[in-house]
Amino acid sequence: MVSQFFAAAFGTVAFSLLFHVPKKYYPWCGMIGGIGWIIYLLISPKMGPSEASFFAACIVVLLSRFYAIRKKCPVTLFLISGIFPLVPGAGIYWTAYYMIMDQFQNAMSKGYETCKIAVAIVLGIIFVFEIPQSCFRFGMKTENP
Amino acid sequence: MDLLERVQYETPGPDEKLALDAAALAGHILLESGAEIFRVEETIKRVANAYGMEGEGAFVLSSGIFLTEESHKHGFYANVKHIPLSGVHLDKVAAVNQLSREIENGMHTPEEALKKLNEIKHMPEKPKIAEILATGVGSGCFCYLFGGSLFDSMTSFFVGCILSVFLGVMGKRKKRTSKIVLNITSGMLVTALSILFYLCKIGDNLNHIVIGGIIPLLPGVAFTNAIRDIASEDYISGTVRMVDVILVAFSIAMGVGVMYTLFSRMVGGIVLW
Repeated sequence: MVSQFFAAAFGTVAFSLLFHVPKKYYPWCGMIGGIGWIIYLLISPKMGPSEASFFAACIVVLLSRFYAIRKKCPVTLFLISGIFPLVPGAGIYWTAYYMIMDQFQNAMSKGYETCKIAVAIVLGIIFVFEIPQSCFRFGMKTENP
Repeated sequence: MDLLERVQYETPGPDEKLALDAAALAGHILLESGAEIFRVEETIKRVANAYGMEGEGAFVLSSGIFLTEESHKHGFYANVKHIPLSGVHLDKVAAVNQLSREIENGMHTPEEALKKLNEIKHMPEKPKIAEILATGVGSGCFCYLFGGSLFDSMTSFFVGCILSVFLGVMGKRKKRTSKIVLNITSGMLVTALSILFYLCKIGDNLNHIVIGGIIPLLPGVAFTNAIRDIASEDYISGTVRMVDVILVAFSIAMGVGVMYTLFSRMVGGIVLW
């Protein structure tokens, strides 16, 4: 589990470098990516991958908004890098793989699952962004964003 | 008052023009660096407001900004720009965001703001070697996350590095490479390299190496932005970005598939894995 966390965190930091996130935000990006992935891992065996993606996406967005307000920078910086481990890259691969192997049953179910995960992430992001900004300000000294 | 009369005595002053130019440039940088539509609109409005204009006439699509301003006091201003996405630069998004808030607090004149924006626009790039290594590390880490062994991750690291070099070379071409072709060939390259490494007994599981290799190609930014655009009811831009996501994902899958098929035909249908 610990190694999974660090792999996710380092992977996220590597991608935030590719997206030119300023250096000072790397630790936060890595932490958000790592936590999102751990949540996914914890929930996935019990409830299935799409539900796990939903909750992990929610947590990632919550954390991103939380730190965006505290660090006074656009939420996109944390969100884009943090959500990366959840994007179903492996799903795309397996769909293509089964397609090539003429296993259409498997290809269909993998493709369907990939779409479900994508929709779950979408819902996670949309719902958490409906929470008003002021809810994230608790415990802050200054009121200005 | 009829139109002719209005045109005659309402020429925008130099300061107003500069201010609106600054607003348009701020929007331009944000849009091409991969910001969401509503952020671009908000920033343009914020900058325009700070200099005493309305900024209500800003209409932003995923590939262009239309900014007009017309009022009794300031005359007419129109600015229409086509803006292709030039690569994700979240540092520029952060910098423009910061600057727009400073402008809002009245810390910069229009000339200063324009100068600062131009500085942001030409921010130094990351060194190439850092980009290559980051792609490799990303590939390696994600290979591990999706079930690869450490040995697989190492192989994936090299595949990612080579992929990054390939993308860099393709980016330098004079004629802009079509996105579909670029993603199909990248997918093919990743698969070919992975098979090659695998056949040389470098790596345990071919599947995981390829998964790690294609991760840097995934349209994560476009995906996130598409969702947020659709969520904020910018349906046109959101749809365009979503189509982009689907196209890229499909192209990658196609590249992987084509290479596997080619290879299994070449070796006469022997199962590789």
